[in-house]
Amino acid sequence: MEKSEINLSEVTERSYGRLNPNSVLGAILVLVAGIFLFYIAPTYINEPPSMQHPLLSPRFLPQLAGWLVLLLSLALLIEGLVRPPRHTAAEKLHEGIPVLRWVLMIASGAIYMLFFEELGAIGSGILVSVLLFLASDLRKVSIYLLAIVFPVVVSLLFVHLLNVPLPVGTLWE
Amino acid sequence: MENFSEVLALFLSVDNFLAIAAGVLVGVVVGAIPGLTATMAVALALPFTFSMEPVTAILLLVGIYKGGMYGGSITAILIRTPGSPAAACTLLDGYPLAQQGKAKKALKTALYSSCVADMISNIALIFFAAYLAKIALNFGPPEYFWLICFSLTIIVSVSGDSVIKGLIAAGLGIIVSTVGLDAVYGTQRLTFDSYNLMDRVSFIPLLIGLFAIPEVIEFYTSKVLPHIRTAVSGASLTWKEFKGCLKSVVRGSIIGVIIGAIPGTGATSAAFISYSEAKRNSPRKANFGKGEIEGVAAAEAGNNGVAGATLIPLLSLGIPGDVITAIILGAFMIHGLTPGPVLFQENLTLVYALFCGILVSSVVLLVVGNAAIRYFSLIADIPKSILLPIVLMFCVYGAYAVNNNTFDIGLMLIFGVLGFIFNRTGVAAAPFLIGFILGPMFEDNLRRTLLISKGDPSIFFRGPIAWVFITLTVASLLFAIRRYWLSRQEASAA
Amino acid sequence: MRQLIRNAAKTAALGVAAVLTLSSPQVLAEGWPEDNIRLVVPYSAGGTTDLLSRKVADLLQKELDTVIVENRPGAGSTVATAQLARGGRGSDHTLVMASPGHTIGAAIYPNLRYNPIEDFRFIRNVINIPNVMVVPGNSPYNTVAEFVEAAKQEELSFSSPGIGSSIHMSGELFKNLTGAKMVHVPFRGSGEALPALLSGDVDVAFENMPTVYPHIQSGKLKALAVTTATPSEFLPGVPTIQEAGAEYGLGDYETSAWFGLIAHKSFPEEGVTKLQEALDKIMAGEDFNNFLPQFGAEAGKVVGDDFRNFVAEELTKWAEVAEKANLKR
Repeated sequence: MEKSEINLSEVTERSYGRLNPNSVLGAILVLVAGIFLFYIAPTYINEPPSMQHPLLSPRFLPQLAGWLVLLLSLALLIEGLVRPPRHTAAEKLHEGIPVLRWVLMIASGAIYMLFFEELGAIGSGILVSVLLFLASDLRKVSIYLLAIVFPVVVSLLFVHLLNVPLPVGTLWE
Repeated sequence: MENFSEVLALFLSVDNFLAIAAGVLVGVVVGAIPGLTATMAVALALPFTFSMEPVTAILLLVGIYKGGMYGGSITAILIRTPGSPAAACTLLDGYPLAQQGKAKKALKTALYSSCVADMISNIALIFFAAYLAKIALNFGPPEYFWLICFSLTIIVSVSGDSVIKGLIAAGLGIIVSTVGLDAVYGTQRLTFDSYNLMDRVSFIPLLIGLFAIPEVIEFYTSKVLPHIRTAVSGASLTWKEFKGCLKSVVRGSIIGVIIGAIPGTGATSAAFISYSEAKRNSPRKANFGKGEIEGVAAAEAGNNGVAGATLIPLLSLGIPGDVITAIILGAFMIHGLTPGPVLFQENLTLVYALFCGILVSSVVLLVVGNAAIRYFSLIADIPKSILLPIVLMFCVYGAYAVNNNTFDIGLMLIFGVLGFIFNRTGVAAAPFLIGFILGPMFEDNLRRTLLISKGDPSIFFRGPIAWVFITLTVASLLFAIRRYWLSRQEASAA
Repeated sequence: MRQLIRNAAKTAALGVAAVLTLSSPQVLAEGWPEDNIRLVVPYSAGGTTDLLSRKVADLLQKELDTVIVENRPGAGSTVATAQLARGGRGSDHTLVMASPGHTIGAAIYPNLRYNPIEDFRFIRNVINIPNVMVVPGNSPYNTVAEFVEAAKQEELSFSSPGIGSSIHMSGELFKNLTGAKMVHVPFRGSGEALPALLSGDVDVAFENMPTVYPHIQSGKLKALAVTTATPSEFLPGVPTIQEAGAEYGLGDYETSAWFGLIAHKSFPEEGVTKLQEALDKIMAGEDFNNFLPQFGAEAGKVVGDDFRNFVAEELTKWAEVAEKANLKR
C-alpha cells in the first residue's frame, strides 16, 4: 500500500503537465464504486423476502451512496482531464526515504495487528517502540529506556487504575 | 424560595466539591487519552458511586462527563488524535494551529469556549428545561429525518479545497457505516460473515485510525526533518482574539443546547454544525481548516453546549439522550430516584442542589483545564521521533480497550491507511466521518417514518418543526451552491 | 530535552510504585478462587446488563475474591459467549452475565460455533426484570383485548430498542400468538424509542419495567399488562398478558429480561458451589434487596440445572419466533 503511494507521486512528478492526479484518483474511484455497485452490493447485502416499501430495502442507502461516489468520481476524472495539474512542493519530501524506515513502520503495524494478544500489551508495546525508535535512527540509550518504561506504565495504568483490561500475552503464560 | 437554605445545606459539603473536582480531573485526563472516552470513564466510575450520597454520586458523574468533553480536545489539538468523537471537529483547526507553533493558543481557545458554552448550557438547563423538553417530545422520526438532512449539508463546509472530493468521502463513509446487521430486517450487510462486523464498524478505532494514524505513517514515509522547538508551544490567547470568537461561541453554544436537548443526536453533530455556521458567517472563511482559532472555538462551543443540555430530557422527562445520560439515569435509579416530572415535585431541593453543583463544575473545569494545559502543552515540545511511537501505542491500547478485541486494532490500522491515502490525494477526512455518523441516522429515521406512516409520504411534512428544518436544509444547499459557483468563477478568472 | 526525559522517567517510576502498591491482593481464601474472578459483560459499558453486573460484582467481591468486570460486546452477546465456550486459559475463573441475548442471539445469528446449552455450566439466575405492555397515555386502547381486536382490523406499530432485543422479541411473540397485524419499528436504545412512544408515533411497546415505570406513574403511558406469569408488585391491578389475553391465544405468553451467571462447561465443581453459596447469601442480604426495587426487578429463582432447563426452554421459544418472524440468518 505504502509502496504504491510513493510510486503514485513519482508518476505525477514525471508526467507533470500531462496527467492530473485527480484524474487518476477519479478513475480508481470509478472502478471501486463500479465493483461495489455491481458486484459487492448485490452479493453481500441480503434482501428480505418481503418489504413494506422499496425505500426500506437494506440495499437502498449503500446503493445511493455508491451511485453518489460513482458519479462524483466521474466528474473528478473529467475535471482533471480538462484542467492542468498543479505541482506541489510537498512531494519532494517523500523522495529518497530509506527503505528501512518504512519497512520498520509496516512491521510495527503488523506486530500490533497480528501478535497483540500473543506478545501482550507490554511486550508488543516495547517491541514496536524500539523498532520505531530504530527507524528514526535514535542513538541515545536513555531514549530506549523510554520504550520500556512507557508501555509498562501505561498498561499498568489502564489495567489497575482505570480497570480497563489489556492482554498479558499468551506467550509468557 | 423558602427552602433555599435546604438546598445550600444539601449542596455545601466537602464531598460534593471533592466529587466535582475529582470528576472533572478524571474526565479531562481520560478524555485526553485516545480511545478512552468520557462514556467509558462514566461507566467505570459508576460502581464507585454506589455507596455515595445521591447528589455527590451524580455530581461526580456529571463532572467526568464535562471534563471528558473538554479533555478530548487536548490530544486532538496536540497530536491530531481526537480523545473523544466530538473532538474530531476541534482538530480541523486545532492541529494546524499546533503545527504553526500555536498549541497553547488553540488549547486556551478550546478551554475558554468550552467553559462559556458549558455555562450557557447550564443556564438553559436551569431556566428553559421545561420548554426545551417539550420540543424534544415533538421530535418524532420525520423531524429527525429533516434534522439529519440539514446536518448533512455541513459536509460542504468541511470538505477543504474540493467539494467533489468531500462528497465522495462522505459517500464512502456512508457505505462503511452500513456494514453490520440491518436494523429493520436483521439481514447481513457487507459483513462478509465476520462476527466482528455484525455490530457495525466500531466507531473509536475508525476515528483514531482516520486522524491519528496518518500522522504516524506520514512521518515514517517522509525525510527526517530537524525538530523545530516552539518555546513551550507559543503565545497564549489574547482577550482581543477571544472576543473575535465570542459570537461564534455563543452561536455554537445555542446550537449545542438545541441538539443536546433532542435525544439521540449527539455532541459530534453539534460540533460540526456549529463549526459550519461559524465558517459561513466568518470574515476569515478561507482560513478555516488551516488554523483558525474561531474554528476551534466554534467546534468546542458546539460540543460542550451539549453537555448541560443532554440533562434536560433526562431530568425533565426521564429520557436519556445518549449513553452517558443513560448511565447517569442508572445512578439516579440506584439511589432510588426517578428522573422526570415526579423528581421536580418530590425532590425539588435535590434538583436545585444538583443545579448548584453543575454550575460549580463549569468553574472547576476552567481551573482544572488551565492546569491541564500547562502540563499537556509540554507534549508539543517532544520530537516526533519519540512522540509518535508512544502515540501509536496509546492508539492501539485504546482501540483494543473499546471492545477488548484485537480485531479493532486491525480496523484502526486499515482506516489509518485510508486516512493516509486521503491526505496524500487531498481528500478531507472529516466528511467521511460525518457520512459515517449521519448515514445510519438518515437511514434509521427514513425507515422509521415510513414504517410508522405505513408508506404514506405526507408524514414528512406534518408539522412546524419539520418545516423549519426543511427550510434550513434548502437554504443551506442554495447557499452552498451559490458559494461553489462563486469560487468557480474566481478560479477561472485567476 | 534531557531534563524533560529525566523528569518523565522519574514520574513514571513513581507511577509504577504507586500502581504496584494499589494492586496487592485483598483476600486469600482456601481453594477456589485461586485468582481474580473475571465477570464478562457481553454488552457495552453503561447498559442495564452492565449496571446489574457491576452491582453483582461489587457484592460478590465482598464474599469471595476480587471480581474484575470486563465488557466484551458484539453480535448480540454471542461474541462474549463464543469466547467463553472456547475455554482455555483462565476459564476456571471466568463468568459471563447471560441474559435473553444468550438465547435470542443463538436463535438469530448464523453458524454459531458453540451450543448455547451444552457448552456451559449454569450457575444461577440472579435477577429478573419484567417487561410491560405499554401504550401512550392518550391511546384509545385500555385492555389487551381492545388492542388485539384493533390490531386485527388495522396494522399497528410496536417499538423496540433494536432488533433481537427481548423487547422486540416479546412483540414478535405477541404477534405470532394472536395473529394481530403489527409492524416492528426499531430504534437504537430505549432512550430513542421512548419519545416516539410517549408522543404516540408508535402504538405499543413491550418495554422493560424500569424504563417505563415513571411514565406509567405520571400517566404519560398506560400499562395494559405485564409479560411475566405472575403480576408485578410494582404495578398493582395490572394483569398479566396470560390472564388478559387468554382468549386470544396468549395463555402461555411469558417473557422477561433475565440475568444469570454462566461459565465454561469444565468450570470447577468447587467454584460452582462456592458461587452458589455466595449468591444465596448476597440475595438474602439487605443491600441486594434494596437494590432490586430501583429496577422494578425481582430476585432470580432458578439455580443450577433448573436454570439450565429454563434457558433451554427459552431457546426453543425464541428459535420458533425467529423462524416465523424471518429473523434467522
